[in-house]
Amino acid sequence: MGILKKELVLSNKDAVNDDGEENPEVDISESESESEDEDVKLTERSKTSIYNRDGLLDKLGDISWPKDVDWRHKLSLDINQEQEVDVNDDLARELAFYTQALEGTRQAFVKFQSMQLPFLRPSDYYAEMVKTDSHMVKVKGRLLAEKRKIEEAEERRKARESKKIAKEVQAQKLKERAKQKKEEIESVKKWRKQRQRNGFEKDDQMGLTFEDGKTFEKSTKKRPGVGPADRSGGKANRVGWKGKKGGAGGKKGRDFKDSKFGFGGRKGMKKQNTAETTNDIKSFNKSNLSENKKRKR
Amino acid sequence: MGKKRKHSEAEVTAPVKKDEGAPQRPKRTLLGWKDKVEEKESDSTAFRNKEKVLVTCSRRINYRYRHLMMNVVSLLPHCKKDNKVESKESKGATLNELVELKGCSSCLFFECRKQKDLYLWMAKCPNGPSVKFLVNAVHTMEELKLTGNHLQGSRPLLTFSTNFDKDPHWKLLKEMIMQIFGTPKDQRKSKPYHDHVFVFSIVDDHIWFRNYQISVPHNEADKVDRGGLDKMTLVEVGPRFCLNPIKIFGGSFGGQTLYENPFYVSPNQIRALEKKQKAGKYAKKVKAKKRRKMHEISNPMEPDEFADMWKE
Repeated sequence: MGILKKELVLSNKDAVNDDGEENPEVDISESESESEDEDVKLTERSKTSIYNRDGLLDKLGDISWPKDVDWRHKLSLDINQEQEVDVNDDLARELAFYTQALEGTRQAFVKFQSMQLPFLRPSDYYAEMVKTDSHMVKVKGRLLAEKRKIEEAEERRKARESKKIAKEVQAQKLKERAKQKKEEIESVKKWRKQRQRNGFEKDDQMGLTFEDGKTFEKSTKKRPGVGPADRSGGKANRVGWKGKKGGAGGKKGRDFKDSKFGFGGRKGMKKQNTAETTNDIKSFNKSNLSENKKRKR
Repeated sequence: MGKKRKHSEAEVTAPVKKDEGAPQRPKRTLLGWKDKVEEKESDSTAFRNKEKVLVTCSRRINYRYRHLMMNVVSLLPHCKKDNKVESKESKGATLNELVELKGCSSCLFFECRKQKDLYLWMAKCPNGPSVKFLVNAVHTMEELKLTGNHLQGSRPLLTFSTNFDKDPHWKLLKEMIMQIFGTPKDQRKSKPYHDHVFVFSIVDDHIWFRNYQISVPHNEADKVDRGGLDKMTLVEVGPRFCLNPIKIFGGSFGGQTLYENPFYVSPNQIRALEKKQKAGKYAKKVKAKKRRKMHEISNPMEPDEFADMWKE
């Protein structure tokens, strides 16, 4: 195998051919190297090529239609493409084609309108189309699927962000609560110290805000649930309580567990009955006492 | 099944509207109503576009290119699709005879080589010029991303970019394209109304083809709504391809070469060059090693003073 010569042949723009004219845009040029030495991507390459201008124009005259043919036969339009379009930039290229077509149709429609010819399809004109109905159904399906994908992605993103925000808000709330607690304790301590300092006199004359005993009442806004020592089973076993039995419907959240078991979760699963619950027979359904429970209902 | 064709009704209304000048009843001919009997008669008898295109392909054509050919057939109502031709016969005389036999005036021949490269011959028969193109970047109408649709057989609007008028070979190509891809007026299988547009544009010395459906809000058939021209949108119907002219011949499928594209490299050559490049890898490596050795021998390194420091 020979050595691969990689010469870049630059085109020189001298005229060569039969016609002797030069045209800088077209590819008439003389090569300096033999035709075998080629570069891989031949963008700048040129070689001796035939360009029979007169012959081309002759043939053009042969085949072209008479000049005075009505435009309606030709239906051709020439659109000026202002900028040079880079071939490799797909979007720009397609945009250029699109604008060319748009311009062309505008001009054509203006002409048609002036000729007062019908050129737009009426809505009740049914005829065979170039793509079948079944194909168009597929196209529609695909478009809808794409739309749905985009929407789902949007929703997922929103859900993620809102979760993030919710977490932050929750963290904030917890911090605040902790702070409040601390403050309250601090204030009690301060009060005690002050009292100590003042020698335990004037007990009734201290108009301190926390003295009305309300600090030991927690805010009733929070869960009206169960105290720590309450073993009655909380909300869940209340008579007539529907909808939350066994955590139905995914409501096994913190709130529910707290109310059912008190803070800290299930404490000692072993014995749960209290005096009241042992004697509580309201949850037994009298009607199905005598029935066959094994029969599928 | 399918859709109703109210085609005939529409056709009747159209020429009647055009016929404002002629007092007498328009003559009925095989090709439709012959209207404007007075001055246009010389024109219409002297010029009637009787273009017929024969569309064929070679054997062993790829499925993609066959679909492209079928798409082209559906776009041109004035074409005749013929059977595949043997590859031995794909030069010159036989194709010309075939075209004559079918009574066509031009031919689009899709020649597929090695099941990889598609060459398109566009020829005006019997003695017109012919062009051979290399076809790239093929997208058929069946692609789901091309969502437009239009009437089958409606006459297209042809748009050319102005670079077609710059050089004689482009001018010739433009004329040929206009005659082959433009549906003749009053062609038997053509439908009225213009609802799609072809784009032929020269970028990087290639001819790019696009086909768009025109959608414009309108209520009447001959008038666009006010401001409707601005709301016009185009949806791509397909197919899409890119033509690289190789040679233009003076005769049909042969004859004197009128033009040769100097930038054209055949795909075979490109593939061969790529292979050659890859194949030289080992030889290059050996050479590089030898060169390095020579270089080392000719410039010996100075002995390093610290080389023996850690030796036992």
